[in-house]
Amino acid sequence: MSQKKRHFTKYLIISAAFVLFAVMDILLGSVLIPFKDVFGAISGSDVPDFVNNIVWNFRIPKALTAMLAGVALSVSGLQMQTLFRNPLAEPYILGISAGAGFGVALFVMGFSAAGIDISGTVLSKFGIAGAGWLGALGVTMLIMLVSERLRDNLSILIFGIMLGSVLSALISLLQYLSDSSALKVFVLWTLGSFSGIESGELWILFALVMTGFAISIYNIKDLNTLLTGETYARSLGVNLKHTRMRILAATTLLAGSVTAFCGPIGFIGIAVPHISRMIFRNANHKILIPASAILGAAIMLFTDTLAQLPGQSAVVPINTVSAIIGVPVIIVIILKSRIS
Amino acid sequence: MSQNVIELKELSLGYNKTLYSEISASAAKGELISVIGPNGAGKSTLLKSIAGLISTMSGTIDIFGKDLKRYSAKSLASILSFVPAQSTRAHNLSLYDMVATGSYNRTNWLGQIPESEEALINGIMERLCISHLRDTDSSKLSDGEYQRASIARSLVQNSGIILLDEPTAFLDIENKAIITKLLHDISVNEGKTIIFSTHDLPLAIKMCDKIWIMGHYGFIEGSPEELIKKGAFDKIFKDSGLRFNPQALTLI
Repeated sequence: MSQKKRHFTKYLIISAAFVLFAVMDILLGSVLIPFKDVFGAISGSDVPDFVNNIVWNFRIPKALTAMLAGVALSVSGLQMQTLFRNPLAEPYILGISAGAGFGVALFVMGFSAAGIDISGTVLSKFGIAGAGWLGALGVTMLIMLVSERLRDNLSILIFGIMLGSVLSALISLLQYLSDSSALKVFVLWTLGSFSGIESGELWILFALVMTGFAISIYNIKDLNTLLTGETYARSLGVNLKHTRMRILAATTLLAGSVTAFCGPIGFIGIAVPHISRMIFRNANHKILIPASAILGAAIMLFTDTLAQLPGQSAVVPINTVSAIIGVPVIIVIILKSRIS
Repeated sequence: MSQNVIELKELSLGYNKTLYSEISASAAKGELISVIGPNGAGKSTLLKSIAGLISTMSGTIDIFGKDLKRYSAKSLASILSFVPAQSTRAHNLSLYDMVATGSYNRTNWLGQIPESEEALINGIMERLCISHLRDTDSSKLSDGEYQRASIARSLVQNSGIILLDEPTAFLDIENKAIITKLLHDISVNEGKTIIFSTHDLPLAIKMCDKIWIMGHYGFIEGSPEELIKKGAFDKIFKDSGLRFNPQALTLI
């Protein structure tokens, strides 16, 4: 009972942080707007049109995207770490982001090679997301196929890393061959961004992430059995092949979709599950999945607020901020576990 | 039909080539059986084969009179539990959560443990004297405590058969005796069939109903007395130049 109470308090604290960072992300931005005007726009009071426009068409969709990205990357990272029994496993290490990158690169540079300029068109946005998603899906399918043959998860992890390297090399080759405008589109995608996601895209992202999240909830029971080794899980009657498939499917839906729409965002997938474990001191996924989801959303919103450099017209890429926040956390975790 | 719980008929073990052949043995309800043999003889492979975790080269394994191959993984888990050797420890996994995974097949889709099940888990932890460690991080338990937790988890699984791969491998003399005695008590009091591999010959001879010897010269099954009378231990280990000392119950 006391443990339940402690967990409840911790959930309350991280939820409060989430609400605080969500409010902060909406209140602060490149254009400084008085807070009462922002609240006014949200509550439907009479505020200048540009405020309404910024709040409803820019800041709220951006905050929602950041939230979805945080949930998706953290929950998929957590599952990868359990499946591969590796604290550094996450969708990026498995080559899923490289797959998305390759899809986007092929799409962007392909049109450029054919002499078609798609920048600024609807095709550009949905095409990039679609190509990224297909790339991520392709890599996941390949990993699933290989995982049928390779029994141990370490080999699958190594395969993922190698696949990621090959795809990165191919992306470099495409970049080398491409013209400057296509290259710019691609590089912008790789920097990661939550802005510019329109409501239609947001709904698609929402549906994909929620489906992935629902599968993740369903995975909780099997993930817990995997904690003490695959042999034991199998002896309990867990169908490892199905479990692996479900975990990889959830990862594609979660991380693949976010990467496709927002670009590759690193370190959150590794760092957040570890922070959740540190806070809750628990390995049970029934605790960790909701905790990682809430913390992931909170940290991503915080990252986004920082990336906006409130009051400045310049924007720092999300990937830069996530690295600055995430890497020290990862280093602390590694040092702490080594020292203790 | 025989009342054998497990029956091995001309079993051959191995992955690509045969590692061990001609295993014929049986286990009855409530029997405590140890598998003895040199490293690499195939003890672990034999236990994993009976647990349905790896396939065999030839021969059959009957569990409760039915071919092992005809069991689904789930139905097998309800009659047979397996405690792997050196099972991986998970950081921050509480002892209770670890033990509770044994009820995997009786929880709902979310892994929610029903109240009746909770009473069962608590009772087993009480019996194995690990209740006070309920909220302790299982990765920080001593080897003896961890092994007791693993056994508790297999008891929670509530199967008639328990297979353990070297459960006393990393334990000190005291804990070796405690765990072996615990397995003995479970087999006697609860009528469970327990098969475990070990290198501890004296304890196996004293505590077990039966010993399966996997030596270089073949597989021998028998009660400790029979095996001593037959000189089976001498025969099995004769290449190493060791002889069995019946007084010390060990090889010298």
